[in-house]
Amino acid sequence: MMSANPYANLSLRVMSVQRFSLHDGPGIRTTVFLQGCPLHCPWCSNPESQPMHPVQRHKRDKCSGCGKCTSRCSKGAITHGEDGFPHFDRTRCIGCGECEQACPNEAIAISGKTMTVSEIMEIVKRDKDYYRNSGGGVTFSGGEVFMQPEGLVTLLEASKAEGLHTAIETCGQTSAEWLQRAEPLTDLFLYDIKHSNSEVLQHTTGGNLDRIVKNLKLLGSKGKAIVRIPCIPGFNLDEATIRGIFHLALQCEVEQVHLLPYHNLGADKYAQLAKEYAYTCESMRNEELEPYAEMGRAMGLSVQIGG
Amino acid sequence: MATFNIETAQNVEISKKIPCEKPLLEQLEIMERYTAVHREHLGASKEKREAACLQVLYPTLFRHIQEGDLIAGRLDFLPIGFGCVTSVGGVGHYCVFRKLKMFRAQLPELEHARVDAMYDYWRDHDLKTAYNKETLQEGILGMFIDTTYPMIATARLSGMMLDYPTLLSLGIGGMRKRITEKLTQDPNNEFLQAGLSCLDIFVSSARHLRADAAAQMANASAERIKDLEVIISSLEHIEEQAPETFHQALQLFWLYALLAGVINYGRLDDFLGPFLAKDLEEGRLSEEEAYRYVRSLWTLIENRRTTVNGRIIVGGRGRKYPKEADMFLHLAMRVAKECRYVEPQFTLRVDKDTSEQIWDEALDALGAGATYPTIYNDEVEVPAVAYGMRLDEKAAEQYVPFGCTEFVIQGQSSGTPNICINLLKILTIFMNGGIDPEDGVRKDGGVEIKPLSKYKSFEEFYDGYKRLLDFYLDLSAKAQYHSYEVMNSHVAFLFTSLLMDDCIERGKALLDGGIRYLGGTNETYGNINTSDSLVAIKELVFDKKKYTLDQLQQALLANFEGYEELRHDCLACDKYGNDLDSADSMANDLYEFVAKGVRDRGIAIGMQYFLIVISNNQLNTEWGLNTAASPDGRLRGMYMNPANNPQGGADKSGPTAMLNSLAKFDARYHAGSVQNIKFTPSMFNNHREIIKSLFKTYFERGGCHIMVTVVDSGVLEDAVEHPEKYPNLIVRVAGFSAVFVDLSPEIQQELLSRVLYDERKSLC
Repeated sequence: MMSANPYANLSLRVMSVQRFSLHDGPGIRTTVFLQGCPLHCPWCSNPESQPMHPVQRHKRDKCSGCGKCTSRCSKGAITHGEDGFPHFDRTRCIGCGECEQACPNEAIAISGKTMTVSEIMEIVKRDKDYYRNSGGGVTFSGGEVFMQPEGLVTLLEASKAEGLHTAIETCGQTSAEWLQRAEPLTDLFLYDIKHSNSEVLQHTTGGNLDRIVKNLKLLGSKGKAIVRIPCIPGFNLDEATIRGIFHLALQCEVEQVHLLPYHNLGADKYAQLAKEYAYTCESMRNEELEPYAEMGRAMGLSVQIGG
Repeated sequence: MATFNIETAQNVEISKKIPCEKPLLEQLEIMERYTAVHREHLGASKEKREAACLQVLYPTLFRHIQEGDLIAGRLDFLPIGFGCVTSVGGVGHYCVFRKLKMFRAQLPELEHARVDAMYDYWRDHDLKTAYNKETLQEGILGMFIDTTYPMIATARLSGMMLDYPTLLSLGIGGMRKRITEKLTQDPNNEFLQAGLSCLDIFVSSARHLRADAAAQMANASAERIKDLEVIISSLEHIEEQAPETFHQALQLFWLYALLAGVINYGRLDDFLGPFLAKDLEEGRLSEEEAYRYVRSLWTLIENRRTTVNGRIIVGGRGRKYPKEADMFLHLAMRVAKECRYVEPQFTLRVDKDTSEQIWDEALDALGAGATYPTIYNDEVEVPAVAYGMRLDEKAAEQYVPFGCTEFVIQGQSSGTPNICINLLKILTIFMNGGIDPEDGVRKDGGVEIKPLSKYKSFEEFYDGYKRLLDFYLDLSAKAQYHSYEVMNSHVAFLFTSLLMDDCIERGKALLDGGIRYLGGTNETYGNINTSDSLVAIKELVFDKKKYTLDQLQQALLANFEGYEELRHDCLACDKYGNDLDSADSMANDLYEFVAKGVRDRGIAIGMQYFLIVISNNQLNTEWGLNTAASPDGRLRGMYMNPANNPQGGADKSGPTAMLNSLAKFDARYHAGSVQNIKFTPSMFNNHREIIKSLFKTYFERGGCHIMVTVVDSGVLEDAVEHPEKYPNLIVRVAGFSAVFVDLSPEIQQELLSRVLYDERKSLC
């Protein structure tokens, strides 16, 4: 099947491929996380996926300071610091993965390695039986999938050729043209709307609400979209904002909304990237979102807490 | 002959035994009497000797019926006596020397000489010692459980599951009639004569227990009196007649199983279900009363504390009374969930017709942390058993797992695992020129092994290893077969033989040509460490040529100290359990070589079947302690992989990938392979439909079995630190469940190393 696809050797930057994903659409799924995102949400739990280029996370607690990564790197992207730990010049890194392999302690993890469409599909296809029996399939997520639109569409075509249910997780910040090319190949869009106020959204995440909503309108009438709201205390978790997002969903003819409770599981990654993590609050419990879910239901939406 | 210490512990004993209720001096007298009777009968036939010896033990060794018991029958065991298996008493006419020494230490010094006299007598007459003397070979073949050897052997008759359907339909009187009729054709048949003595022992035991129950009536509460009356009436009934009620059937089954010394019980749903259904239908019994009886049976089985046995099997193909059987199944499912005992090992067979209700009940019990039921897939196992054991599918439908998973055909075959082989230790010996790096002892059995530098291709290297394996596999079949010869020369296993096809018909004890299918099993260990090691050798030495075999061997001998990068490279090679063709096909190739090798040798030597089991009790950890560092990156002394699961932590691609790897072995070549999986409660219980479809898909893809531990992350770690907080935390070890805090620290670490599947959240 794959050999017939002229794009099988097309390469993508991939953060990771995760089998047995349960939160990215129905049933048992494999989620392909693609590298690169146009937004920069400060709560992002996959911050290593934001740049288009490869990113290495460095886990200091595992690092013995042995210097093996420094000597292995052929691009001079790693220097041995005075503190005894490696320092990374992320502009020089080409993501070859040599340092990751050289490290005896699994202290380095590279995101954004290159994989071909056929390599990705080779993994995705292995759980076909599980998808079929559980009503699952493949989900493309990120980062933002539309940062690599050609690769995405090729992956969708390849998945459809295998008869798989396909889902996309997107923030909607993309061109209408690519969205419309992906739409017929996609069974489900998990579509993030993070705020109802365009200025706040622009300021905090770099997102363009107008464009996001216009794009969602293209999908809404097809009945394929679920709006997902990452509920972030201090950013959007207030009655007015959530109500505003519910209104946007209704305007776009979307009936289903998922409220995703804030969690801090990605916090460690910020330290590994030498970045500050903006939040100090605890992960939320599902029950805390119940009043918001009730509000949505009263507005005629079908609301679920958790993905 | 090898030297061996007759006081070595011979079985896994995690659950603590209940001490004998008789005073020490009385115990001493019983053992003396037993010894004297045995001595007097040295010149008699084995059948007559056995019957006479059994009369010393029964009904004497019955304990008092305990308050709360709704079925009568608890037995004590002494360091000298008769049995089938190591975990209750010993094998044949046995003396457990280690326990006899402990017993001696409790006696006043005055009595020590009496014990010493017996000790000396049994040195020459203990069955297992006789086997060991004839069979063990220095450096090559050790006794159970001496982990300095690459292979160990024993004589025992584990896992017999009797033909209870026949017992329940004939009753003791009907059995007597059948034997007597055979005797009229063959009046001097000592097996049949001794068989009648056994039925007399059954009757005197039933009377003994009846008298005990009657004596307890005087001080019993009104409620307890009712229970005792039921016990008395059932015992009276089953002395002669076939059972009519559920309670009578339970009582007959249980008392016979005790006297036979068997510790696995078979398809209870199918042979007890019709009695239960009839009682319920005719209003003789309420469901709650039935629940109490079954729960009492669970307690009696738990109290025998065999650690790795106690199988009760429900469900699956080939049941005669599926509708009635399911009534028992539902009741048993509730009991298993609510009791949360480590035994019985409650086992569910499923097939394509298994109802959603049964699946849901099973997942509920597992989700509650019961570790039961452990689930077998008949769609794979039945045809596999048919091929492996050379039976038609109809006969194969009566397969039942015992112990840690070994299969037998209920009432028709033996399957005792009297051999265990450590494939990884043999690899470390092979790589070290035939000498075990652990103790410097030559263990090549005379097989020529070339220096490592002479191997020019991976195939040549692998072939060299296979030649050494061949030597051990040859020896394994001979040692297994010889265990039957030795046992047969000493004992008839009368009670067991009477309920195994076709002993009465042929007038022969089971190992004397009586049993329909003489089978056996061979437990293989370190399977995955070995295949992962072969993957690493192929990749690093022969494909990438990064190291030579000698360099690798130097690193192994140094336990990788000073070779950290080399070890890192070994660990980075593909590992089984990640659905990778490279590692999985190597594992499968080694599996098929060993499994077919064992099977072919068993057939050649004259057994119906001799099959490997990848079952694993805790020996993967214990044998690991005495196994050198290996090319898969495993350090010296580290636990080996459990059953045919990946080495703990080596599977990094999630449960579907692991299960895909597991499903790749062709089940036709083994007689049981167990597969562990561990989930957090939130993963398991909040995604029930997903879990169900995960298991069903795995089964559809050829998975043969699954056993599940549901435990929260951090709990096992905390239980290591604070055992006092977790007296009831049950985990699935491999082929058995155990209270976690009762396990040794090394075994606890092995369990911790296994991947725990939890919910992973993503939010971008």
